[in-house]
Amino acid sequence: MSSEVAVSKTGTRLRSPRHMLADSATLGPFLTLLVLFVLFSLFIPKFLSWRSVSGIVNAATPIGIVTIGVTLLMICGEFDLSVGSLVALGGYVFAMLLLAGAPPALAALLAVALPALFGLLNGLLLVWTGIPSFIVTLGTRSIYRGIVWLFSGGTLIQMLERPAVLALFNGRLDVLNELLPKGANFRTSLIWFLLAVLVFQYLLTRTTFGNHIFAAGGNAQAAAAQGVNVSRVKVISFAFSGALAGLTGILLFSQFRTVRVTTGAGMELSAIAAAVVGGTALNGGVGSIWGALIGVLLISMLRTGVILMDIPFIPADNFEAVVGATIVGAAVLNTWLGQGRAKR
Amino acid sequence: MGRTQDHSEPLVRMEAIVKRFGTITALDGVDFEVEYQQVHALLGDNGAGKSTLIKILTGVYPPTEGRIYFEGRHVRFSSPRDARALGIETVYQDLALVDTMSITRNFFLGREIVRRLGPIPWLDMRAMNERTRSALRDIGIEIRAPHEKVGSLSGGERQSIAIGRAVHFGAKLLILDEPTSALSVAETRKVLSYIENAKARGLSVIFITHNVRHVHMVADAYTILRHGRKVGTYYRGELSERDIADLITGERER
Repeated sequence: MSSEVAVSKTGTRLRSPRHMLADSATLGPFLTLLVLFVLFSLFIPKFLSWRSVSGIVNAATPIGIVTIGVTLLMICGEFDLSVGSLVALGGYVFAMLLLAGAPPALAALLAVALPALFGLLNGLLLVWTGIPSFIVTLGTRSIYRGIVWLFSGGTLIQMLERPAVLALFNGRLDVLNELLPKGANFRTSLIWFLLAVLVFQYLLTRTTFGNHIFAAGGNAQAAAAQGVNVSRVKVISFAFSGALAGLTGILLFSQFRTVRVTTGAGMELSAIAAAVVGGTALNGGVGSIWGALIGVLLISMLRTGVILMDIPFIPADNFEAVVGATIVGAAVLNTWLGQGRAKR
Repeated sequence: MGRTQDHSEPLVRMEAIVKRFGTITALDGVDFEVEYQQVHALLGDNGAGKSTLIKILTGVYPPTEGRIYFEGRHVRFSSPRDARALGIETVYQDLALVDTMSITRNFFLGREIVRRLGPIPWLDMRAMNERTRSALRDIGIEIRAPHEKVGSLSGGERQSIAIGRAVHFGAKLLILDEPTSALSVAETRKVLSYIENAKARGLSVIFITHNVRHVHMVADAYTILRHGRKVGTYYRGELSERDIADLITGERER
């Protein structure tokens, strides 16, 4: 084997740092997150406070849930550009049913189930037509938002009262905040996000279905030759992605008590960005849910850091440029590590 | 490992196989037999019909005419899955494994071992790691770590894992498509030794190649195809490497 690889007495290999980074899709992004956190804490006044940390986390959780679904799909080799529209769909279904006096549980259930159904449709379109998912969901992205527009009449919904269900989905997480020093302001969306992370991390790494997701994206022909139903795996993953977008719609409405036709617009790209920053490969087969978690935290932290730094030529509303640079940097790093993998 | 079946019939018997694609005749009445515990080389130049014959045997295409017997029974495959269910496993050069997954996850892909924690299914990685290591060791393959990614292995190591997997999961006939064409000399020798180990365990192997040198060391029989017809089947010791090469190219008729 290559000279970089030594075999220790126990048979486990002593590896170069590059190989360790390459073997774990998540380690690199995690270290980046850690280093940036330390640097920002040292050099930006006010960064290291419970207020800013909870702000970073709160901003990361809704997009984080969307990113989990997008990551799942990217691992099986597909893209979902319709998730932003499905966030709006979920938000409207939830809001309209609540306003119509439906039981909150039913409203929430349908706000997840309908987007899941639309996600399923994405998957079926992909499997039936063989058109790349990038194109299929580029189309359904507009179609789904059109459907939202149709049944909402294009009007914004604003809720003045505060039913208890909103506090459950995205209220203040006072149990935690009271334990922490002043300034901590975590929200319950964090609980939903962590729950989703655990469930999908389990699904991806500890179930047959997860094994088949990695195989479908890594080498669909080899997977099919071993009896994996690649189409089925992809269709189900699309349904999950839609369901998670619907949940995000619920969380956003629960926080702002507002939903409009443009809600969630652009989230599909932010989610892909976060997934890539978290170490998920653009061509399938590699990625992790922890990576999605790290990716959204990293981007959210960069945003807060940049705003607090108050750099004259990067005003807060020019933050997208910073995200763009981060994505390109992460993609370059992933490619370099991928080559390290292939070379051995 | 002995087999209990009646071996008066060969493991595989393909009779008068004809395959036409539109006006093109890819196979024109080919007979092909593989005995139990035999390494059978299928030789021929590009376009001779080797892969068409194998695709018919593995259920990828139906034959236009002709019959297939497996273990003495007439069989008709409508998909590769049917052939696989009877124990016919094909190992393709690059399509066999998922590079981004570990050895164990590849080994058990589609046949995962699942444990239950109450109602929750859970992949039993420990059991799968152990079985992968011991199954590969059984046919002479030592791996460093079962959780290592397949993408970090050499071409020969990858072949060996695909072969080991087929053997472990009860294949009766192993079909190797150009298994040594991209390998170094040392690796080729290793892969050939796995083929012999598979044979020692009772399997039959069809080895498709156009490289006579590689197959000469392990083949019990050779069938040579040219332009969709069978030139002949020959047994170990009947022909020199030179004779075989001439028969493949048609420089000499026999």
